[in-house]
Amino acid sequence: MSTIKELYAYRQMIFSLVKKDLRGRYKGSVLGFMWTFINPLFQLIVYTIVFNHILPNNNVNKYYLYLFVALIPWIFFSSSITIGAASIVAQKDLIKKIYFPRMVIPISYVTSCFVNMLLCFIVIFAVIFVTGAGMNFLALLTLPVIMIVEYIFALGMSLLTSAITVYFRDLEHILSIVAMAWMYLTPVVYSKDIVPDKYLPLFNLNPMTHIIDCYRTVLYDKQVPDLSSLLLAAGLGVFFLIFGTLVFNRLQKHFAEEL
Amino acid sequence: MAENEIAIEVRDVTKSFKVYLDKGSQLKERLLFFKRNKYEERKVLRGISFTVKKGEAIGLIGRNGCGKSTTLKLLTRIMYPDSGKITMNGRVSSLIELGAGFHPDMSGRENIYTNASIFGLTKKEIDARLQDIIDFSELEQFIDNPVRTYSSGMYMRLAFSVAINVDADILLIDEILAVGDANFQAKCFAKLKEIKAQGTTIVIVSHSLGQIEQICDRSIWIYDGLIRAEGDPKEVDLEYLDFMSREMQKSMNTGNSTGACETERHGNGNARIESVSSFNSDGGEQTVFRTGETIVFRIGYSVREKVEDAVFGLGVFNSKGISCYGTNTRIDRFDVYDIAKDGTTEIVLENVPLLPDVYTLDFTIECGDGIPVDYCRHIYKIEILSSVGDVGVARIKHSFLLDDNIEKKEKK
Repeated sequence: MSTIKELYAYRQMIFSLVKKDLRGRYKGSVLGFMWTFINPLFQLIVYTIVFNHILPNNNVNKYYLYLFVALIPWIFFSSSITIGAASIVAQKDLIKKIYFPRMVIPISYVTSCFVNMLLCFIVIFAVIFVTGAGMNFLALLTLPVIMIVEYIFALGMSLLTSAITVYFRDLEHILSIVAMAWMYLTPVVYSKDIVPDKYLPLFNLNPMTHIIDCYRTVLYDKQVPDLSSLLLAAGLGVFFLIFGTLVFNRLQKHFAEEL
Repeated sequence: MAENEIAIEVRDVTKSFKVYLDKGSQLKERLLFFKRNKYEERKVLRGISFTVKKGEAIGLIGRNGCGKSTTLKLLTRIMYPDSGKITMNGRVSSLIELGAGFHPDMSGRENIYTNASIFGLTKKEIDARLQDIIDFSELEQFIDNPVRTYSSGMYMRLAFSVAINVDADILLIDEILAVGDANFQAKCFAKLKEIKAQGTTIVIVSHSLGQIEQICDRSIWIYDGLIRAEGDPKEVDLEYLDFMSREMQKSMNTGNSTGACETERHGNGNARIESVSSFNSDGGEQTVFRTGETIVFRIGYSVREKVEDAVFGLGVFNSKGISCYGTNTRIDRFDVYDIAKDGTTEIVLENVPLLPDVYTLDFTIECGDGIPVDYCRHIYKIEILSSVGDVGVARIKHSFLLDDNIEKKEKK
């Protein structure tokens, strides 16, 4: 409770770190902020070519959209855990020299990734509009809820990974492998329906399965997502947030000495 | 705010650091060189306790590595104690690392926002303080330029201005009054006093005992991870200086930074200075003194051939080679005397007003009209310490008489 109160007091710091990160990320590059959109766009093109044109018997209608609405949220999550893992180490000068609630750093990192995702959603809506795919406004109302659930889960994971990385630097590299494997074990480029039944319980344990599924239900299928699936994801998200916070609080006491 | 409310409470705090002999933080290294992850525990704090009341200013003193900076880091919560408890009541601001999070490409104004936000200020609070911060830094005309164009002095001024304007309840300071030029330092010092008058609790770590005596109500002397003495700064600081001079004495016996030293000597050699030693007024042998202390030199000499109309003399030079004082028995209008036998002479310098420095001494035996018998240049060294910050060569007795028209500020 006191943690939340303190973080609230430091909201301006979170805000200015997010601003600094967003402004600084593409500083010096010619296309600047456009990279926020270009990067996922090209990933989309590559995946579409591979899964729609090279691999046979893929008969998903409008596969690019099917993929796009899942890929953007996935990129948010994966960058939160991989690059987010290094966030504490990257800010070691600050941590060694001055006090502030250490959680501010992963929080602002995840938040800046989140803002990036929101900006990419502009592109998603543009694609939906241009291709005339249409949308269901009632279903769209649930979109913020899904986003918040994903944010909570990403934050929990990021707290966990960033704190552990301080003591164990290899984690950063291990995580990039994990993130890749995790992506293919989550129905991002394929549908959950093609997952064999015997693996289904395992897939259901993965919060990202439900989260990605919800995004897709809202934006691709134009339906209100299944409440139980969303609740399950929210439950898992909150669990990881609390677990991440506990671990983080325990580990952060020796940050200054380990860095 | 009650008078005797407690701002900081430190209870039985210990802290040790792991000093890795050969540390690997990668998986490969951890596994392969499992045995290498050896470390030594170095106890920095061995259990210190103190409380600071609201509005009180305390100074932490002690020599390098005694644990005073660690204590300050524990108070800021950059680090946490291994055992014991620290309670801080109120918003803490630290002048430990100035300019945290400054971004060179951003303007001074933007950096004020970033830096102040790290101290936990909200945008509203920063807006309210912005003008004060800019005014105090005296950087009005540069405030919208990128910080990378600032000189290091300007940079520090901006950083200090932010930190000091946070309006913390507790202010922690580590050796900061070395910011900028003398004018700005004086300004910082005045601001610090003002902040103290407003009821802010202050903890200072400093080597400048003078500053501590001016601001602090209490000094805490940390020695080897424990509190050795605590109380009125003037008393504790003196005790500390005394102790330090004794410590220095010990190291001098091996290190030889003061005491007997390389000598240039000339003269006819009929008599020879064999030994020089120095004592305090109580007869204790020492070579480190405080300003205002009485110093007694004892000179042992041997005589080969009778020296008629002998003259003993001394000269005192500071580290810049400036002659601070010199005299001899002729200048002092002694009656004519001869020395025929080995003996000792004592020279008593009463209440020596010399300011802190290392002083080199010449001792001489001459005869007649300044014919050198044994003229020893740089034969001895002493060091003078002081807790007062006055400058120059020697302390001139003085007083300031203020005009009646000056209104004295009531001490809050």
